Amino acid sequence: MIRAPLLRAWAALMCLSLGATLISLWHWPPALEAVAGVLVLSLAWLKARIILSSYLGLDAAPFWRRGFGMSLGAFCLLLLGLYLLPGLL
Amino acid sequence: MSDTSVFDELPGDLMIWVLIVSELLVFGAGLATFLAVRVTDPAGFAAAQDMLYRTGAGINTVVLVTSGALAAWALRLREDAQRGHARLALVSAALLGVVFLLIKGFEFLGKSAAGIGWDTHPFFTFYYLLTGFHAAHVVAGVVILLLVAWQDSPRNIEAGAAFWHMVDLVWVILFPVIYLLR
Repeated sequence: MIRAPLLRAWAALMCLSLGATLISLWHWPPALEAVAGVLVLSLAWLKARIILSSYLGLDAAPFWRRGFGMSLGAFCLLLLGLYLLPGLL
Repeated sequence: MSDTSVFDELPGDLMIWVLIVSELLVFGAGLATFLAVRVTDPAGFAAAQDMLYRTGAGINTVVLVTSGALAAWALRLREDAQRGHARLALVSAALLGVVFLLIKGFEFLGKSAAGIGWDTHPFFTFYYLLTGFHAAHVVAGVVILLLVAWQDSPRNIEAGAAFWHMVDLVWVILFPVIYLLR
C-alpha cells in the first residue's frame, strides 16, 4: 500500500488543486478579484512545497526544504506583484 | 571538523537538483514575463484566458499529481526490494503521463480548430510556448519513467522520479498562472 505520508501528500495536493479551481470559478466582485489571486497563488506555493517535501524527499533535508520554500515564496510574491500591478496603475 | 557538506543532505544526485533548479528558473522567467506583458493589456489577457479549456487543465492537474505520487511510491517499493510492484507503479505513472498528453493534445486541437494560433494574441504566444514546452518535458518524462522501469536500480528510479516531480512542480505553478489567475 502507499505509505501514509505519501498518501497524505497526494490527498493534500488534490484538495489544494480543487480549492484553487473553485476559487477561480467563483464569481468574485471586481473589488475582491485580487483576493482570489492571492489565494490561488498561495495555494500554488503550498502545492509546490508539498511536492518538494514529500515527493522529492526534502523532508529529510530541512536546510534545502527551507531554502526552496523561501525561494518559491519570493517567486510567488513576484508573480503576485505583477498580477496586482494593473490594478495599481 | 565534519567532512559532510550541506549538499550531502540532498536526496539523490546533485546533478538532478541542478537540472531541477535550472528548469524552475527557465519556467519561472517565462511565467514572470507572461504576467509582466499582461500588465499592458489585462482585459485582453482575461478575454483570451476565457477561451481556455479549464476543466481539461484541472483534470490534467489531478492526473499529473497522481502520477507523481505513483513515481514516488515506486522508489519506496524498489527500496523495499519489491521490484515488480515498483515497475508497475512506474509504468502506471508513465501511462498517466500519456493521458496528460492526450488531454493537452485535445486542448491544442480545439484551439487550432477555433482558429486560435500562437500569434492570435500575446496571451496565446505565452500559452503555447509555456504549456508546449512543459508538454515536451512530459514526453521526456514518460520516456525516462519507462527507461527506469526497465533499468530499475534504486539510483535510476530516484533520478527518473525526481525529473518527473520537477515536471509536476512546474505544472502546479504554471496551471494557476496561465489558467486560473483572472
